[in-house]
Amino acid sequence: MRTLAPGRRLGLLLIVSLLGFGLLGPWLAGTDPAHQILAHSLAPPGADYWLGADHLGRSMLARLAHATRLSLMLAAVTVASAAIPGTLLGILAAWRGGWVEGGLVLVADAVLALPGLLLVLLLAAFAPGEFLPLYLGLALAGWVEYFRVARAMASGLLARPHVEAARLLGFGPGYVLWRLLLPGLLPTLGVLAAFGLGSAVLAISTLSFIGLGIHPPTAELGSMTTELLPYAYEAPLTVLMPAALVFMAVLGCHLLAGRGRA
Amino acid sequence: MFRRSLGILGTAALLARPALGHAPTAARRPGERVLRVVAPFEFAGPDPARSGHVFARMGVGEMLLGADPEGRPVPMLAECWSTSPDGLLHRFVLRPGVRFHDGSPLTAEAAAASLRHAHAAASPLSRVPVAAIEATSDAVLIRLSRPFAPLPAVLANYASMILAPAAYDEAGRVRAVIGTGPFRVERFSPPLQLDVERFEGWWGPRPAIGRASYLVVSQGEARATMAESGHADLTMALQPVTVARLRRSPRLEVLTVPVPRTRILKLNAASLYFADQRVRHALSLAVDRQGIATALLRNPAMAADQLFPPTLQGWHLPAPPPRRDLGMARTLLAEAGWRPGPDGILVDAERRRFACRCTTYINWPELPPIATALQAQFREIGIDMSVVIGNSSDIPRGHRDGTLEMALMARNYALVPDPLVTLLQDFRPGGGDWGAMGWSDAALDAALHALSAPEGDPAAARQRAAGILREALPVIPIAWSELGVAISRDLAGVTVDPYETSYRLHDIAWAR
Amino acid sequence: MGRRFLDRFLRPVLMRLVQPLLVALIVGALGFALMAVLPGDQAFRLAAARYGPDMGDAAAAALVRQELGLDRPWAVQFLDWVGRLVRLDLGHSLVTGEPVLQELTMQLGYTLALAGVALPLSALLGLPLGLLAGLQPGGPVDRIMLGLSVLLRAVPAYALGLCLVTVFSIHFGWLPPAGFEGWREFVLPALTLALGLAALSARVARDSVAVVAASPFMAFARWKGLPERAVVLRHGLRNAAIPVIALLGLQLVGLVEGLVIVESLFSWPGIGHALVHAIFARDVPVVQGTALALGLIFVLVNALVDLACALIDPRRARAET
Repeated sequence: MRTLAPGRRLGLLLIVSLLGFGLLGPWLAGTDPAHQILAHSLAPPGADYWLGADHLGRSMLARLAHATRLSLMLAAVTVASAAIPGTLLGILAAWRGGWVEGGLVLVADAVLALPGLLLVLLLAAFAPGEFLPLYLGLALAGWVEYFRVARAMASGLLARPHVEAARLLGFGPGYVLWRLLLPGLLPTLGVLAAFGLGSAVLAISTLSFIGLGIHPPTAELGSMTTELLPYAYEAPLTVLMPAALVFMAVLGCHLLAGRGRA
Repeated sequence: MFRRSLGILGTAALLARPALGHAPTAARRPGERVLRVVAPFEFAGPDPARSGHVFARMGVGEMLLGADPEGRPVPMLAECWSTSPDGLLHRFVLRPGVRFHDGSPLTAEAAAASLRHAHAAASPLSRVPVAAIEATSDAVLIRLSRPFAPLPAVLANYASMILAPAAYDEAGRVRAVIGTGPFRVERFSPPLQLDVERFEGWWGPRPAIGRASYLVVSQGEARATMAESGHADLTMALQPVTVARLRRSPRLEVLTVPVPRTRILKLNAASLYFADQRVRHALSLAVDRQGIATALLRNPAMAADQLFPPTLQGWHLPAPPPRRDLGMARTLLAEAGWRPGPDGILVDAERRRFACRCTTYINWPELPPIATALQAQFREIGIDMSVVIGNSSDIPRGHRDGTLEMALMARNYALVPDPLVTLLQDFRPGGGDWGAMGWSDAALDAALHALSAPEGDPAAARQRAAGILREALPVIPIAWSELGVAISRDLAGVTVDPYETSYRLHDIAWAR
Repeated sequence: MGRRFLDRFLRPVLMRLVQPLLVALIVGALGFALMAVLPGDQAFRLAAARYGPDMGDAAAAALVRQELGLDRPWAVQFLDWVGRLVRLDLGHSLVTGEPVLQELTMQLGYTLALAGVALPLSALLGLPLGLLAGLQPGGPVDRIMLGLSVLLRAVPAYALGLCLVTVFSIHFGWLPPAGFEGWREFVLPALTLALGLAALSARVARDSVAVVAASPFMAFARWKGLPERAVVLRHGLRNAAIPVIALLGLQLVGLVEGLVIVESLFSWPGIGHALVHAIFARDVPVVQGTALALGLIFVLVNALVDLACALIDPRRARAET
């Protein structure tokens, strides 16, 4: 295991602690995130509610933990479904060249010319309040980046003497892919994915903030901010906490990606 | 270094200026203070059926009649009116000497033409059994095919607005808003802004306010902040949670006025779940109205034990405060054949789960949290209700194709100042898009038709109708509404119309 | 000269001109296809958007359906749309009844005005900082700038906007949280957009300046005895400008997405606000029009950025002479 730069170590620590919070929080809170006691609306943090209660008298701790877990998991799935096909298509384009490459580049360019948000908005209108359009839209808009990077790097690698030699010697595509191409691509793609994870967390919370979120009573960091915004004066902490968790998650991802991105 | 960065700032400002030029800005007249109204209601196009609410509220357009605080018709463009003994011919005598904003006189023919347009559009007038709309030298005649007593109230609705003949194109579409009100349109930029200026030729006393603007700000917090920071003079539809805060501001006076809008749960009585009246009663008993009204609406008096709030005199029934009774609810459900299953959710004899879908929408920001509260409250008696937050149109569409199970909605019973007109729509046999579903009651139908004929004692018929609705619960009332208004202390003479037909700008003056 | 000019400048520009046509067709068709298969009934949604929830019922929907011919087959409506697009007719908004082109012009004006303030503002905030940081990589300015930009980029745009509103509208009462009339209304939305963009541009400016500052020809210029200021201005800035300008193009993507958020947050009547509304109301012509406009702006700015890079690059300029 390579030693990590201090910044990346901090990023990893942030993500791991958020994951820990997401997994252990529900157990710590001890209640269902949907369980409400209207009489305890906006209760301040205390023995009953460690992080206070929201406007419907639900435990903020339980809700924040569920929301964090949801955000991280949805973001991870989104990134994986953008990165894996994007990388494979990029390698395919570099490998085959010709009309395959031309066609894929054309599709990628067309997707790039379409603001990603438009795609998500259209899909979210298709099934409001569902995870699927959110995930599908982000993945459909996100694969292009991996495609472009993988294609550029793979064409460089394919032109290297040892790769060319391996292909001439008759090593199968599997060998070339696994042994020669992917090891060269992975560090860069890893940075891209870490960064993409942050962007996905940000995008998911932002979209649910503008009302394309997920059905109640599901807790989501962006929609929690929207829900609690009217109570910002009476219970500023309740609005601050979900936004702070988004901030920490994104910061963690960006730090983990390190400076290689710029 | 500092000086240079100032220089850069100047350059940026110069660069920005041509871009700013793209945004249309009103021609400013120095010295004339603009009264700024901020409200959440967007508007679309110049057609009164679509945007008439804004034109009427801002004093641009007027109708033949208005409504007093009790909802009774009062003269506006019509000075007096009469009905033939058989109830089929209504005659509205016009106020003399009225001019439109383009200088043309208000004639009976112009008024009749406007009403004919309204009758062809999606408006309350289009649901009135009109046979003909005619003009005499000084009056508009409306001939009905059968008696319809609340016709004057329909004419007080904004969609029945009277516009000048020049407002319509050859195809009969509204191209410009040329009304008769105390203010004329200075700039019309849907969906967010309308600027008006005083119309010197108005028939009433000259308004003290010279210019006013209507700005749509959909977010409640932003509206409250605008009121608080002095960026709005008249702020409408304050959210309950901001009312207490704004009351502490020395710059504002805050009024809350009860409005006849009720948050109700629409039930599909033709469905497996809600056909049984006992189930509907159980649901109603499971609702913690006090809790919802206190926590979410910040006023326990908004807890609605019946459809009609106390302000709708005649329709409101004297009643004890609503109470929650989960034991009774469970008993009723058991009687109706629903018993707890292994996971706590009710199942019927055929092992079908009581899992239903409630549709609501975001036009009224309190609806999603109320739906979420109901979800938890129904869960306590073993009902698994999922909440879908969609577009308001999902409700009439789901009503029509029969897929709707439950809907949480806010229904205004005084869009036409006589609630009867809305009730005739919502509770006709089989139900209405924004009322009952799959439900009919002959006695209710008879009571409503007696009122519209009119025959018999209207007071008794109203109480009878309200009683049937409370007993049979085709829709479950959850909470009533109030309108919160923040008024700048710079203004004098502001009054709030509970029917929200007008902001009464012509009565307002600058206090300082 | 003519041939080379064609190769260097015209060809990329022509390529960029073919791209928008492609984009127009894809965006329009995609919008149409998605709208056609979306659940729900267009007539009902339009009725709700036009007449409000209370009046938006089945009778209103029937009137809308009849007026707009929504019961025609989708294929017929699509062909109709393509035919009108060829004549540059974007149709009428199904909600307001106004020509889409007219509404688009107004909304675009507001959006461009906002972007036109936000972009220079972000350059003003980000570039000098990046420049200072890049001249001394690893120095205190560099470290502070780096920390700031990482922190700023992790803040969701909506949270940033809410923070600014809290400070400037609520706490100090200086600036309105909504509205779009005068310069005061511009400040908060523009600042929200600009801060996010500045964090990125400062980073890129810093890195490119650092690379150029370490390059031999800067050392040569210093050795020639040029004063430090002249070295930075004449050689450093020019070389460092290329990636920064390229970045401006990239920022546009962020800008477009940021606009939707910021316009929703501040009730700004621009194209992003219109797009979100049109999608909820299922106003197909407006969705197509706004998507088209966004795609075209995107392509246009990319072309301009390419052109600017080609013009500013000293190496290419030398090769030309």
